[in-house]
Amino acid sequence: MTVSVTPANFSFVDFDAELIRRIGDGLLEVLGIDRPVHVEVDETTPLGRVRTEIGDTITVRVESGAFEDSRKPRQQSDEATTANLGRALLRARDRISGGFGEAPADDELSLRQIAAWETYCVGRLARMGVPVNQQRWKYNFRNRHGFTDVADAAFERIWASDGLTWGELETVSLEGAGTPS
Amino acid sequence: MADPYKPRAPFAPWDRRQLPGLFDVEETARRVGNYKWAEMKLFEALGGWVATVPELDVKMRLGTHCYHHAWHAELWHKRLPELREMNPDRLTQPANDAMVQFVAALTEPEAPELTIEKLVGVYRVFIPHFISAYTFHMNNTSEITDAPTIRTLKLALQDEFEDWRDGEMMLQSLIETPEEVDRAAAHQAKLEKLILAAGGIAGPGSIGGN
Amino acid sequence: MRKFFPVDSLARDSRFNQITMKQSQADPRSALIATEEKRPKTNRLQPSRADASDAARSLMHGIFVGEIQALEGAGRTCHDFETGTEAPFALKLDMARQAWDEARHVEISVKLSEWMGTEIGQYAENTVLFEAACSTDPVLRLAGVNRALEGLAIDVFTTMKEFGDIAGDPFLEFCEDWMLADEVTHVKMGSDWLRRITENDPERRKKALEFQSVVDKIFSFGGTRSDSQESPIGLARRFRELAGFSDDEVEDIADVSLRALEERKAFARQAQAEAVEQFSAS
Repeated sequence: MTVSVTPANFSFVDFDAELIRRIGDGLLEVLGIDRPVHVEVDETTPLGRVRTEIGDTITVRVESGAFEDSRKPRQQSDEATTANLGRALLRARDRISGGFGEAPADDELSLRQIAAWETYCVGRLARMGVPVNQQRWKYNFRNRHGFTDVADAAFERIWASDGLTWGELETVSLEGAGTPS
Repeated sequence: MADPYKPRAPFAPWDRRQLPGLFDVEETARRVGNYKWAEMKLFEALGGWVATVPELDVKMRLGTHCYHHAWHAELWHKRLPELREMNPDRLTQPANDAMVQFVAALTEPEAPELTIEKLVGVYRVFIPHFISAYTFHMNNTSEITDAPTIRTLKLALQDEFEDWRDGEMMLQSLIETPEEVDRAAAHQAKLEKLILAAGGIAGPGSIGGN
Repeated sequence: MRKFFPVDSLARDSRFNQITMKQSQADPRSALIATEEKRPKTNRLQPSRADASDAARSLMHGIFVGEIQALEGAGRTCHDFETGTEAPFALKLDMARQAWDEARHVEISVKLSEWMGTEIGQYAENTVLFEAACSTDPVLRLAGVNRALEGLAIDVFTTMKEFGDIAGDPFLEFCEDWMLADEVTHVKMGSDWLRRITENDPERRKKALEFQSVVDKIFSFGGTRSDSQESPIGLARRFRELAGFSDDEVEDIADVSLRALEERKAFARQAQAEAVEQFSAS
């Protein structure tokens, strides 16, 4: 399976479509995803949102800030590209591979649920060797679950987990937020 | 309870302060004016250097120490009118021309690679000379007539000791090679010679002797 | 060491990457002119924003480098002007005090950034704040630094304090409140000195206030700070009042900020059109 990227050439940012493709190919192999992936970069905005649509092809719509080197505006960052594309593809894989059937659609996820799922994705990426700052994700988790010891314990559990189902993830997240299901 | 009307000694048995002191009002005012001038030059240099040093921890310490020395200058400024000098600026003077030359050499380094020289000048030369001059003054002035100066000296000395320790530790952490030891020593020697010619912060006699 | 230090010589370690306001403004991308479906309902930094954590981290880093430049600016004012002839002794003492305050703010910002998961130098450093601290007239410098820059700091800290409060972050709200107290003092310092030094020189006062207005517009960062919900940072009217800004002055800043927002949008539309044109031609 391969990755395609649009646009092929960038005019607002100094990004390299070929580099995005190579990073995407590498991720597909590591993550064992067997569907084609199309990455569509919106270079008109510096925001960094990433949206994914799953069909025969997985389409990842990325705002340019997600692949940008925050130290050098408009330049691409290998690390950011890997981490942010990796997160999107892991979420897609979770949905495809089962166990996440009852997860709400992306647009319907609450901020707390997004934070829990992101934590689950980034924890796995970290174990694959992708450089990430754990404290950044802990801060995000705390913002959505509370600045408490209970929330921190939930974060650690999710971060260290593999093979969770949506139900299991949601249970730990709700416990972390102090509202057990 | 003891009889409150019973006569008591004006100086308690444990109060051993003495009246005599080495400095009269005029000499004290002269020294205080020199201190103020030197503290001003120091806080101005520290403030100016903040932008020139790339080391973040050093940058923050210089900003903090800048205020310490500005505060000392302010304390000396307020002391001058109490020493019959109603125009504090008249006595806000360097001890002599050699002291001006010393400050010019101290503040010369600007390049970002010269943090060692900047810190050596302040923490291995200037501040040790403040400590010695202030200590000499504190130990030799009249403990009774000049108590306000002693109080200011003590407050300033507390900062000087702490700033010296901060500076010395920053220097030890920055000096990593024998060549840098030599650099630091050479700059220290150059500045020491200049302040030797000046005779110290308050000129000859800063720590007694002549 | 020379008097008047150029902005491009500000010393930093290898973690930092500095960019000028001009470079920053040259970026043709803008979320402000996106179509409605792509644009968030509000840009105001609030925990309810989906990207709130990252936006707060980015702003915190902006505060961190801003505090470094404010420290450098206050320090340079201690050094750049001769006592008595160019700047009063007491003004320089205030600037030394401010240098200490800003040094503490850098320390606080480093700790908060660590808490939020941000590395030192993770974001580009815009050097615009120090640029406003480069004037060779101490009165203009006070207008630029103490009234415009520190005024911006009041707006930023108020936004961050509210963010920390709503999110329940025990450190953010606490620290921002302390820093806010210092900034109100600094603005007041600037307002007092501006009045005192220009008491008998209305021409100089006018010039200083004009300069402040220019800096205020620059510090609106193309609409990053204004009353509009399109701006991430709001105008902290109450704290500005405490710091000695008159109602008229606050209104002026509000107008200037909104104008900056509109100009930024117009600029972005033009820059995007030019970028597309250039790309098509090549």
